[in-house]
Amino acid sequence: MAMNLDRRNFLGLAGLGVGAAALAACGGPSTSGSVASSSPSDIDFTGVKPAGSFDFWTSHPGQSQAVEQSIIDKFQAKFPDIKVNLVTAGANYEEIAQKFQTSQAAKSALPGLVVLSDVWWFRYYTNGNIIPLDGLIKQLDVKIDDFQKSLVADYQYANKQWALPYGRSTPLFYYNKDHFKAAGLPDRAPKTWQEFADWAPKLQASSGAKYAYIYPALAGYAGWTLQNNLWGWGGSWSNGWTFNCDSTESVAALQWAQDSIYKDKWAGVSSKNAADDFAAGITSTTISSTGDLLGVLKSAKFNVGVGFMPGGPKAETNVCPTGGAGLGIPSGVSKEVQLAAATFLKFMTEPENTAAFSAATGYMPTRVSADMTAVLAKTPQIKTAMDQLAVTKVQDNARVFLPGADQEMAKAAAKILTQQGDVKATMTDLKATLDGIYTKDVKPKLKS
Amino acid sequence: MTRQLTGSPAAPAQAVQAPQRRGRWSGRTRRDFFVFLALALPNLALIAVFTYLPLVNNMYYSTLDWTLGSTSATVVGFDNYINFFTSSDAPQVLGTTVIFTVVTVGGSMVLGLLVALALNAKVRGTTFARSAVFAPYVLSGVGVGLVWLFIFDPGYGVLSWLLRGIGQQSPQWINDPQLSLVMVIIVYVWKNLGYCAVVYLAGLQSLPKDVMEAASLDGANGFRRFMSISVPLLSPTTFFLLITTMISSLQAFDLIRIMTPLGNGTSTLIYEAYLQAFGAYNRAGYSAAISVVLFAILLIITVLQLRFVERKVHYS
Repeated sequence: MAMNLDRRNFLGLAGLGVGAAALAACGGPSTSGSVASSSPSDIDFTGVKPAGSFDFWTSHPGQSQAVEQSIIDKFQAKFPDIKVNLVTAGANYEEIAQKFQTSQAAKSALPGLVVLSDVWWFRYYTNGNIIPLDGLIKQLDVKIDDFQKSLVADYQYANKQWALPYGRSTPLFYYNKDHFKAAGLPDRAPKTWQEFADWAPKLQASSGAKYAYIYPALAGYAGWTLQNNLWGWGGSWSNGWTFNCDSTESVAALQWAQDSIYKDKWAGVSSKNAADDFAAGITSTTISSTGDLLGVLKSAKFNVGVGFMPGGPKAETNVCPTGGAGLGIPSGVSKEVQLAAATFLKFMTEPENTAAFSAATGYMPTRVSADMTAVLAKTPQIKTAMDQLAVTKVQDNARVFLPGADQEMAKAAAKILTQQGDVKATMTDLKATLDGIYTKDVKPKLKS
Repeated sequence: MTRQLTGSPAAPAQAVQAPQRRGRWSGRTRRDFFVFLALALPNLALIAVFTYLPLVNNMYYSTLDWTLGSTSATVVGFDNYINFFTSSDAPQVLGTTVIFTVVTVGGSMVLGLLVALALNAKVRGTTFARSAVFAPYVLSGVGVGLVWLFIFDPGYGVLSWLLRGIGQQSPQWINDPQLSLVMVIIVYVWKNLGYCAVVYLAGLQSLPKDVMEAASLDGANGFRRFMSISVPLLSPTTFFLLITTMISSLQAFDLIRIMTPLGNGTSTLIYEAYLQAFGAYNRAGYSAAISVVLFAILLIITVLQLRFVERKVHYS
């Protein structure tokens, strides 16, 4: 079919094109070069009255919907003028982040309070999506000194506090006490991975389980848990903003992990959820979040033991990363909503409520003064998680500050642990990828 | 000059017909036209708002360096396209897309045709069999993905249990990127072959019986009749299925999202676009560029199919 492109048609098409371009330019971000969000120091809540209601977006970490609702009910009784709408905004940290980012792009339907994980809050900060809480903390007299120092420090940047800790966790070493007993092993977690390597054949021989140890699912948070191995061997994903995942120490750590699967054949890699695999008896041991503790205790049909994360040949202690989620307040909502959300945030993180949250989920209490006596009497294993907090280490910048780095780490781990890829080459490729992400997506946004 | 070239052959006829055309715009025709507008405009408006406007918006976003969630962006022209085609991921993503599309389209159509031949037989239980074959097509992709994940799970899946029964270890379907692609392809073909089977069955049942009977009388066996009569006469059906299944495969998302959320080994163009914007990276402009590449590929394939493949189709 031939088309006669005369002047009228041409003008019509041109008009259509201009109209389309104009329509396109109506939506989306500003390209004028200015950032819409106000400077952190501009926020002044003097004379602001809290809004009558706001949405609280959560993924209910650790199956916490019931305890979240019960805390909200208590809040409503104390503050009847502020209604908190509990919104299930995703099944995990990634889904809630997806919804939050999309709402930012749409510039509508933002919550007053949002759950943000360790790898997401910094992106919200660089995008200007969340406000600093310092002014609100002062105005509402939040007892910031009573929070666990390391957990609060995780959300500090540029001399501001960007979130408060909520469902905070560390990885724990889970072991099947019955298997350990049958193998004649002591009733404790191994002190180092070398010690566990000596135990593993005995466990495999006597337990009947498929694996002595199973690595957490790579589609989950491989970048998080593998920091334990890297640090134990003296390596890391990064040191400051230097990406040293291809260092001799880091390569040695992951080579050891690969050997445990392919050479020594006592370890495997979980397909979906290591805690579920452990509870199902497929493996004698694993590492998983403290947030999985109550679920494992409920579903396992054997005696469950938990212990500190094992060390490595270079470091036996301080090899456990912190993790989990905090709570932040979006910048794109009114001051009234921000104040209402902050009032609830203060209430949510008070000692008795953090203790209740901890009792229901297994997450660590975020307040030093939280009375955990009743909780520990019921679930003594939580004590291990609390004690381990003293020997945790701040996560590598590469994992928590680089967008997509966690996913790249998981891909690299998959290549090494499930395809027997060359460790040095894989880590060299990963370093190049991390360098690229830093240079393009992070460095230009960092404050000098 | 231009006016002569564009207008000369048809100009006299248009000049003659012009008064007649004006005459038609009265009475019933005018009423019909308004009825047409009343019926078509709401749909056209919906299509414009929910299909073409996002398409144009997406093309605009593909020229931006924009982090999803950020309120500001920088215009970078074609940089996102250049970055994609020069990235180390591009060959893998394009390769995965080609493998996934070719195998799922081919698998669904070949198996669908074989199933249709079986369903076309006049035996007891064909009505139930037809329903059973078509059922997976109308099931939720999310539900199908979750059930098949349980089947494939190397730890405690049904397949693993069966393999252990014969002394074999289950392959690492979920952790091994190559096997993940095989796993997703198997499930996709299983879910979609019912659609091909039903369409082929309709085609088989409309084949002229007299031609078949004549061929039988001439001594042609079943295979010869199928290859020389059924296959050519089914070409319109095959052509229709080729276009629809190819577009559907290139847009496959739900099964990949549920079965392999990390997209390790299964990242087709559409899934890569999703991961880049809504996954961990938040590169909205880059993701928009990948979407435009997918759109261009779909457009080219459809035009090529309409121009060249349709010529080989026997409509009677």
